[in-house]
Amino acid sequence: MGPLAINEIISENTNLFLAFIIGIGFGFVLEQSGFSSSRKLAGVFYGYDTVVLKVFFTAAITAMLGLLFFSLFGWIDLNLVYVNPTYLTSAIVGGIIMGAGFIMGGYCPGTSFCGASIGKLDAFVFIGGLFLGVFIFGIGYDLWDGMYLAKFLGSPKISTTLGLTDGVFAFLLIIIALAMFWVAEWAEKKFPIEEY
Amino acid sequence: MKPHTLLALFIIPMGLIIAAVPQNKTKPYKLTAEELLGEVNTRTQYVTPDAVADMIIKKDPSLRLIDVRSQDEFEKFSLPGAINIPVTDLLSDAYSDILNQDIKMNIFYSDGTLTANEAWMITRQLGYNNNFVLEGGLNYWYDTILNPQKPASTSPEEEFAKYDFRKSAGQALWGGVTMQTTQGQSAASAKPVIKPAAKKKKAAGGC
Repeated sequence: MGPLAINEIISENTNLFLAFIIGIGFGFVLEQSGFSSSRKLAGVFYGYDTVVLKVFFTAAITAMLGLLFFSLFGWIDLNLVYVNPTYLTSAIVGGIIMGAGFIMGGYCPGTSFCGASIGKLDAFVFIGGLFLGVFIFGIGYDLWDGMYLAKFLGSPKISTTLGLTDGVFAFLLIIIALAMFWVAEWAEKKFPIEEY
Repeated sequence: MKPHTLLALFIIPMGLIIAAVPQNKTKPYKLTAEELLGEVNTRTQYVTPDAVADMIIKKDPSLRLIDVRSQDEFEKFSLPGAINIPVTDLLSDAYSDILNQDIKMNIFYSDGTLTANEAWMITRQLGYNNNFVLEGGLNYWYDTILNPQKPASTSPEEEFAKYDFRKSAGQALWGGVTMQTTQGQSAASAKPVIKPAAKKKKAAGGC
């Protein structure tokens, strides 16, 4: 039956409305988990607070298990679920820029709006930088469109690249995630926050 | 119990289950039997030969005629601009982009409607939209467009208009002869015959 919008069980507008509701819920949960604090977010890079890693990895695993079980029960057709196309060069370059901005600014794009919604000034500065970056990218598109569109791989999945079934890969990812949680907890004890 | 242990105790068995079960690769049929019966009963899949001829003449870019007969039959005779997808190869990957799309209007045709309907029903069940069937198939196409019967002189005007269209469509598609209408002739010779037809039409409207 799913995806609901693609199979025309709900209209495109209902779909957008649901996205709006889910977006508000997502923002609320982010704020409540303390993701509106840039010190907490940057903590993952210094080891004193790894809640970002834990929250997002848990979210990914939950969604992954949910989709795989839904597919198993025939509730969703995974072939119809949109997968972002991979442009390898821009994925790597974009990842480095995003990571550097994350360390320096203490926010990622979503959490910066969380911070702004409760009036954090650094979040507003971050959003200003975000729009500036979008603007520069757009203005200079001709300069880097070659790199931007380089190494197009389609929409590959790691599981098919490794020759595993989705289920086996999911299980391996769960083990990796739990191991990372353990390392993260260890790091939090090893590098406690330094209060100034 | 610590939340971490709880999470691990829940998520590891779930991962084991999902790793052990076979992947669901069935292509679900998109319509229930009732829905399909409803579509069949309302004959939504049919496009009349007149509509198709009109689209061919106007060079409608959205039209795509698909001949579902065998290649031999296709080479002997086909409609202008038609492509050949024998119904035996319908599910071949090469054709899935043609059949599953939302830009063009695919119209299946065969000699009658049986094979075209088979193709339509399979694609419909796969959830593909924009696939239709030429009403009556090539046999009816021959009777209507290539060899239209002149309507009885007592027929209503629309019958004559239809006849004119079919005749000129047939000529435009295969004859290469300039279009002729019976309207011009009827103005001179068949004029008195058309009058009662107009009356009849009014009466029908009154009902």
